[in-house]
This record gives sequence, structure tokens and C-alpha cells, in this order.
Amino acid sequence: MPRFFPYLVGLVILLAVASSCVFIVRERDAALVFALGEVRDTITEPGLYFKLPPPFENVVRLDKRLQTIESQDPERIQTAEKKNLLIDSYAKWRISDPRQYYVTFGLNKTAAEERLSAQIRDALNAAVNVRTVKQVVSSERGDIMDEILANVARRAAPLGVDVVDVRLIRIDFSPEISESVYRRMEAERKEEANRLRATGSAESERIRAQADREREEILAKAYADAQNIRGEGDADAAAIYSESYGKNPDFYSFYRSLESYRSAFSNKNDTLVISPDTDFFRFWGNPQGGQAQEGAGSR
Amino acid sequence: MRLMSKIFNLNDPGWGRGKGDGNDSSQPNNQNRPGNNQGNNGGPPDLDEVWRDFNGKIGSLFGRKRRGGGNMGGGGNGGGPVQLPKGSPKLFVFIAIVLVGLWLSSGFIIVQEGQVAVVTKFGKYTKTLNPGLQWHMPYPIEEAQPVNIAQLRTFEVGYRGSVGNKVLNESLMLTTDENIVDVQYVVQYRLMPEGAPNYLFETVDPDDSVRQAAETAMREVVGQRPMDVVLYSGRTEIANSVQQLTQDILDRYKTGVQVSTVAIQNVQPPEQVQAAFDDAVKAGQDRERLINEGNAYASRIIPEARGRADRMVFDAQGYTAQVIGTAQGDTARFAAIETEFAKAPEVTRDRMYLATMQTILENTSKILIDNQSASNMLYLPLDKIMQQASRSNSSTASPDPAAGMAAGSAGQSSEGSGSSSGSTSGSGGRNASGGGSPYSNSSNLLTSPYSSR
Repeated sequence: MPRFFPYLVGLVILLAVASSCVFIVRERDAALVFALGEVRDTITEPGLYFKLPPPFENVVRLDKRLQTIESQDPERIQTAEKKNLLIDSYAKWRISDPRQYYVTFGLNKTAAEERLSAQIRDALNAAVNVRTVKQVVSSERGDIMDEILANVARRAAPLGVDVVDVRLIRIDFSPEISESVYRRMEAERKEEANRLRATGSAESERIRAQADREREEILAKAYADAQNIRGEGDADAAAIYSESYGKNPDFYSFYRSLESYRSAFSNKNDTLVISPDTDFFRFWGNPQGGQAQEGAGSR
Repeated sequence: MRLMSKIFNLNDPGWGRGKGDGNDSSQPNNQNRPGNNQGNNGGPPDLDEVWRDFNGKIGSLFGRKRRGGGNMGGGGNGGGPVQLPKGSPKLFVFIAIVLVGLWLSSGFIIVQEGQVAVVTKFGKYTKTLNPGLQWHMPYPIEEAQPVNIAQLRTFEVGYRGSVGNKVLNESLMLTTDENIVDVQYVVQYRLMPEGAPNYLFETVDPDDSVRQAAETAMREVVGQRPMDVVLYSGRTEIANSVQQLTQDILDRYKTGVQVSTVAIQNVQPPEQVQAAFDDAVKAGQDRERLINEGNAYASRIIPEARGRADRMVFDAQGYTAQVIGTAQGDTARFAAIETEFAKAPEVTRDRMYLATMQTILENTSKILIDNQSASNMLYLPLDKIMQQASRSNSSTASPDPAAGMAAGSAGQSSEGSGSSSGSTSGSGGRNASGGGSPYSNSSNLLTSPYSSR
């Protein structure tokens, strides 16, 4: 055995005693120092602290961080119009007064959560019962949460608990209502589809009709223009003719008649039944003809 | 020096951290500890001391565990199997110095890139160490907890893995017009640069808190908007609002978390009504299609009409040009003839008349009826005549049926066309010779009057 062995043993014992006289409070903790069963001190600041060794003084640590309570199953709550909603929520809470909290719940966190859950349920029911579905879902969602929070926070304060936030997560219709909601949605969509198709064909028809009208307008105007142009042409031509033929109407009649005869009888199929007493046949069987002329009778 | 570096390699930030203190059940997870105590075994002999130190720490851990919260100090000389050397006090002092050196060197840590180390002194937060080789007062005075601040953490709401794999009770939510929509979204977040202490010390479950906040925010935002906005037009805006609201909530809880994205992966109507919605979308497309067809019709028909209109106008202009041209031509010709006519009216008149008649008679079939001793009855088989005319014309055209007889038929059958009905009349005694004239290609049929006395 070396000489310094006793020292070593002493040192170890000393360390053991010292370690039971100091304790560390971490950032996340609050500590209660019990002196023979009653609370001597509440420590919320982290750091190194001294105490008497057990059994004179004991330390109990509580978690002072923000904690969560989530509702296990959605609550079935009736709205003002007697519809059932399924509502999920969560709450954030922390221990604000460790001593009070410890007196109320001890180290039993479940008890604290159950108490808070019950309070939240009550407040939630009270807030939802007086509102319509629409208010709950959209317009007054925030108000409901504020209401519940104020309500629960007020009731939780004496327990040493600070409720920081209560929020609604899911707000759903109960299954039997969901079914009818689906049917309504379907009906609305069908209506929408029909409306779209109907307006589509109406619009299409309108466009076509307009196009048709435009076409008619264009053609009518063009016809008018064309006739106008033709008329002017005819007028110009007539003016040319009358200016020219007007000089000698008699000859014109003669000349034009001949022209007409020629073009009228130009076909082999035209059969003329002629009597020889026309002017053309005046020498026919009468070489003297009407006038003293050389007979040009053809054989 | 080699010993030192070996120790540094043991960068185990968790050494001596209080675990299992009865009431701190939930450590923040996701800590990605780098290399846990590897390489402590099988080292070279001079690692013995380190190994012993390590054993001591383990021992002290167990010791604390038994005691439930009390602190066994003296990391070096816990309850480990320390073999005490047999030697002089000098040796003992030397060993003590070595042990103290080892203890001090255990304060060296390497903070990985992307992490910071949160240092607490006797449980109280003092500072945050940045990446690199750092030193803090060794256990039990100071402790360092590494926190990953660069890592982008992600969770999915309403689905797992792929959007098809839905979690309906997360994804179905109500809109303000009391319709139900099905939303899948993903949230990414990381720690704020200064957020590590809050992340560690302020909430029991910061990561769960992000999820809760995101869910409640999404439902609140969707609940304030009508279905059509949620489904079609408002996705981006909704995602931004949700991100903002989630961030506000988390700031209130002091989680030290920064929400970097809320991305809506998919928004649909619920399965039960999907078909009706699809049909409505189709209807919208049908509407577009109908309108487009109308427009197509219009854009086809109007240019066509314009074309026709132009044609009408141009035709009219052409007609005008033609009419005027004709008039000018005709009048010019007329004027020329008229000039001649004025010189010798009679002769010119006769000449023109005869020339014209000649032309006409050359080109047509003729029947000359000398009706001077006319009987009242005359039979003209016109149809035969026409036939003959057309045959001699060698035209393929079928003759027009003769329309009308010159005289009522006496009930005889028509025959003997072309042959002369050599009747001897009392007076004239003129011969009517049949047959075509050799000079013209017209078939001349001279019919003598048939006297029925």
C-alpha cells in the first residue's frame, strides 16, 4: 500500500460530500429546494447552487420549457345550427409558478395535462356552440382561439401554469354531413359545367351570326357598288351611242336592222319560210323589178 | 502532441452530459452527432491514459444515474479501474499533472461545419461556438451541445413519400364556402443563425411544434378562402400566407426555427367529387373550343365574302370597260360606214341590204312559197325539212321539232319530201324544182302550191 492511499480515499469521500452539496440548474429546468418537506426556495435561473446534503435538503427539478397538449381524438362539437363538427386542437403551456404547480400536481405531468385538456374542451364547446359553421371555419376562427386561450389561461393561472397558446388544427364535418357536402359540391360542379357549355355554344352562335351578318353586309354593299359601276358604264355607253347615232337616225335604224337580221339568222337550223314578194325577191321572175334596173336574178 | 491530437479525435460532445435525470425525457433529436467515440479501441499504447479517462467518464455517468441528479465531480478519477502506480510522491504528482492536463484537454471540441455548439456553464447558457476547433472549460464546469443549423429539415403534411400516398385526415380541410379540399404540402425549415439556444432550451419539442404550427396555419388560411381560389388561382399566395403565419406562431413559441418554404404539392377536390370537377374543367375547355370554332368560322367566311365582294366590283368594272369599249367600237364602225353612205345613199343602202340578205339566206334553210295563186291549204312537213337540213348540215345535233304547222293537215300521212309533186297548174305552169343548189350548201326546198281543185 502506498503512503498516499489514505489521502486518495479522503479525497474521494470529500468529493462525494461536496457533490451532494452543490447542484446545477439547467436552462430548461426550474428547481424546488425542499428543506425537510417544505419548499425553501424556488430557482428559475440556471446556474450552480448550494444546498445541504440529503436528507436535510432535496432538490426537485421541473421542466419549465414550453410543452404541448394535443387532443387525442377530435372533439365532436355542435355549432349554433346544430351541425356536428369534429375539432382537433393543441395547446402550448409552461410551468409559470413551479411551487404552485408542484403543490397541485407533484411530478405527475399527466394529471396536469388532463386538467388542462378538460378546461380546453369546456372552453372550446362554449366558443363553438354559439357560432355557425362558417364562423367557426373561417371568419371567427381567430376569435375562437383567442377566446379559448383567454378562458383557459385565466383558469390555469392558479395552478401555476401559463397557457401560451391554444390553436385549432382540424375542423371537419362529421361523416354524415361530409357526405351531403360532397353531393352538394358535385351538384354545383355539374351546374357549372352546364353553364360553361351553354354559354360556350351561345357565344359561338353569336360570333357566327355576327360573321354571317357581316358577310351579308359586305356582299350587299359590293352588289350596290357593282350595279352602280355597271350603271355608269351603261350610261357612258349609251351616251356614246346616242352621240354617234343621233347624227343619222334613219341610217342607223337601217344599219342596225341589218345587223340584227344577220345575227338572228345565222344557223342552218333556222328555216325561213319566205314569200317571194319581198323586196329581196323583186327581180324573182321579174327582171325589170320595181325599178329600171339590170336584173340580177340568180339561178 | 500526438496524444493531444488523439484526444481531439475523440470529439464526443456528449461526454458527461446529464442524461436520464428523471424529468428531461425529451432531448431535441435530430442532432446528427458526428462520429461517436470511434477509435477508442486498438490504439497505440500511449492511448491507455485516454482509455482510462474515458472509462472514468463512463463510470461517473453510471454513478450519476444511480444517484438521480447528483453530480459526481472529477471526470478523471471517477469509479474507473485506475491502476495506481507504485512509486514516489513525485510520480504521483506527475501523474496528477498528467491527469489534470488530460482533463483540461477534454475541453477541446471540433465543431463540424454546419453546426454550432451551445455552451452552458453549470447549466447556464454562456455562448455559442462556431465551426472549427474550439475549447471550453471541461466537464463538469462547461458543457457543449452541438446543434445542426445548416441542415434543412423537411416534413410532409397530407401524404407520405409520394403525393399519391395520402393521409386523408391531414389533407382534407374546409374552405370558407364550406367545401372540402384535399391539400398535400411540404414544409422545410432550418434553425435561425442565433436560434440554437432557443431551439434547445425553450420548447420541449421544437420539431413537433413546427409541424403543429404548419398544420394549423394551413387550415386557417384555407378556411379563409373560397374553394376556387384554393384549387386554382391562389396556390402561391396561400403558401406564402401559411409560411408567414407559421413563422409568427413559431416566433411566439421561441423555437429558434426559420420556416424557409411551404410548398403546396397538390390541391384537389376530394376523390368522391373528382369526376364532377374534371367534367367542369372539360366543360371550360369545351366552351373555349366552341368559341374558337365560332371564331374560325368568322375568320373563314368574312375574307371569303370580301373576296366575292371584290370580284363583284371588278366584274362590274370589267363589264363597264367592255360596254364602253363595245360602244366606242360600234360607233367608230358606224361612223365610218355612215361617211360612205352619205356619199351615195341609194346604192349603198341597196348594196348593204342585199349583201346582208345574201349572207343570211346562204346560212339558213329556206322555203320559198310562191303564194300568188295561193290556195288556202298548204302542207309543210316542217319536221322533215328540219331533219333534212340538219342531216345535210352533217351536224350531230338533233333537230328541233318543228313548232307549228303552217296549215292544218288534211289527215294525210306525210311522205315524199324532197320529191317534186309535179302538179300542173293551169295558170303559171311554173316548175318547182327540188334539190339542193350546187352553189350553196344549204338545202333549198321549193315547194309548189298544192292545188286541190
